[in-house]
Amino acid sequence: MGLREYIIRRIIMIIPIIIGAVILIFAVVQLIPPGSRALLYVRTERDLQFLDQIIKAHKLDASPVEQFADWLRQILEGNFGWTRVGRGPVLNVMFAKWPATIEIVMFAAPLTIIFGIILGVISAVHRDKLPDHITRLISIAGYSLPSFWLGLILLSLTYITTGTVITGRVSNSVVNIVKSQAWHTYTGLYTIDGIINGRFDVVLDALKHLALPVIVITTINMAGIIRLMRSSMLEALTKNYIITAKAKGLKNTKVINKHARRNALIPVVTIAGLMVASMLSGLIITETVFAFEGVGQWAAQCATQLDIAGVIGFTIFTGLLFVISNLIVDILYAYIDPRIRLG
Amino acid sequence: MFSLRERIQKWKKAHEVSIKELKFILFRIRKSPLSLLGTFIIAFYIIIAILAPILAPPQPSWDIFKNPNPFIIPDAYNSVDPTPPSPQHPFGITVEGYDIYYGCIWGTITAFRVGVMVVALSLIIGLAVGIIAGYYGGLVDEILMRFTDIIICFPGLILAMAFVVALPPALTLDAPTILIPITVVIALITLLQFLKRTSKRFANISLAITLVLAVVSALIMFGIVPKINVVQMPLTRLDKVLIALILVGWPGYARVIRGEVLRARSEDYVEAAKAIGASDSRIIFKHIVPNTIYPILILASLDIGSIVLTAAALSFLGIGAEPSYADWGQLVQKCEPYMLGVDIVRYWYIWLIPGAFIFIFGLGWNLLGDAIRDVLDPTLRRR
Repeated sequence: MGLREYIIRRIIMIIPIIIGAVILIFAVVQLIPPGSRALLYVRTERDLQFLDQIIKAHKLDASPVEQFADWLRQILEGNFGWTRVGRGPVLNVMFAKWPATIEIVMFAAPLTIIFGIILGVISAVHRDKLPDHITRLISIAGYSLPSFWLGLILLSLTYITTGTVITGRVSNSVVNIVKSQAWHTYTGLYTIDGIINGRFDVVLDALKHLALPVIVITTINMAGIIRLMRSSMLEALTKNYIITAKAKGLKNTKVINKHARRNALIPVVTIAGLMVASMLSGLIITETVFAFEGVGQWAAQCATQLDIAGVIGFTIFTGLLFVISNLIVDILYAYIDPRIRLG
Repeated sequence: MFSLRERIQKWKKAHEVSIKELKFILFRIRKSPLSLLGTFIIAFYIIIAILAPILAPPQPSWDIFKNPNPFIIPDAYNSVDPTPPSPQHPFGITVEGYDIYYGCIWGTITAFRVGVMVVALSLIIGLAVGIIAGYYGGLVDEILMRFTDIIICFPGLILAMAFVVALPPALTLDAPTILIPITVVIALITLLQFLKRTSKRFANISLAITLVLAVVSALIMFGIVPKINVVQMPLTRLDKVLIALILVGWPGYARVIRGEVLRARSEDYVEAAKAIGASDSRIIFKHIVPNTIYPILILASLDIGSIVLTAAALSFLGIGAEPSYADWGQLVQKCEPYMLGVDIVRYWYIWLIPGAFIFIFGLGWNLLGDAIRDVLDPTLRRR
């Protein structure tokens, strides 16, 4: 099977999953009483006064079968309802808040992968010796750390050492710059926009606020990569080509870096898809702790205040995001390792 | 009749491989300092959980009539601000007057309860689905596995959050909602029995059951027999968390178990059992399950740590147990009003101590799990 054929087949395979996911979410929605469910159909603030009419118009107290087509149609039209927490249509609020979250991921993802791979290799090469025990302890601690607890510890430590509490996306003084007329928004990411606008003070301030959330997300997600890299590296180190490389007198570092690590990296690609999911989950907590105005914080507030439209919209969106990222990972994997396409 | 000793001998002989495996695992645990540490941590928590009524006596005294629920943290100590640790309240008091020490000690039992219940119930569902999918294969496998795919395509915490928010305060199931899915499942099984033509008798019985159930549900649907609410169960907030975590957790186990069953199905001993005419249920329960389940059981039990961590995250978001319930995440959540200011340092005891309980609990399970995963992984063991 060629790569193109594989990609087409994979894309066809996710269609029933997406349909199933939509049905699952619809089933979850059915658990909610019609009165609150009506918020899912609200388009403008004015509609909020006519919830009774909405219940009637969309047959919300009729049987689920009658409701499904109606619900699906308005999802496809891009109407995810009205979020009370965000005071706006779900989709608009969500898209306004994504840049903040993407900014954290943009820094956290590469750091997670780089540190994870380095520590994993160290751990495998020194198996059952002190460096291995220390790295494994770090990795296991990363698995076990509640992200909110780590966040609170970091917040306290920064206060004790610097005397300030750093929360939010930017400082108050910078908020005025960002909201002013002179500021041009290109991507919504303050670091990139700051460079384009030539305001490096904004960039610096944004970076300062990003540091703590990025540290939390990196520490917690690194653990999985360390573990996988370690076992994959251990396996690679027993392969015949390693013995050959050693036998022909290559230096140990060269054997590890050129021969073993490169081959051990392949399975690590697969975890990248899972990392997206755990990062999204982690971001809900982390953004809440640091009052970072991203999607995660909004979703957490929606959950606490029982804002149904917000929670459902966020869940559908993250599910879609996760499916697509897994698709990309699978295609990448098939590209790297041709054996997968045959499966 | 066998004497007791002979019976033990016989049992030992029958389970020789499992016993050897267990001994090897114990040997590896003894050899690795980290997993030994993990074992000690878990033992420590178990002791705290057992001794909870002595370590933190409920007030007023634990009496089924006066104080039926010792998990509610006493909040008799009215205070406006949180109070730092003192000899009477070793871990301090939160703003609403909840004793942190009491919450931490009784929270240990909550943690075990959440972890054990979620793992056990997800495992039962996962086992049923995984075995059916793996053993029958074909269309059944396809349908069941696509269903797990759907749940797995959401990040766990996020789907759990949606479930918790959507679940109603009381679970009411009327007769059709229970009967119709059961009818569909039994009808599917009947169809399979006829297609496979293995045992005619069993197929006829299940066909009869399907017809009876279908008639009964039809009668209720058309209003001939009045609708009866079969189950009416109030859901506490902790129940909702448990249900959400189980609904999110089972597909993972179903997948692993299906894989194992698929592998076992092509083994010689299953072929042999089929050849001598053993029934499906006999092959599944006598041959496949005993040969596949033990490693999965061990691995699943180690998930208790991560499940407690997820439950704590939900509590921290404010959608966990009731505010007064002894639950670690709930206690950390009590620092929320101070989170954005310098008070977070002044009231350190509210979040640092319960958070440490969560962290060390997770650490214990993961330390142990890391070693056992290595042992159970055939590509890495014995090197």
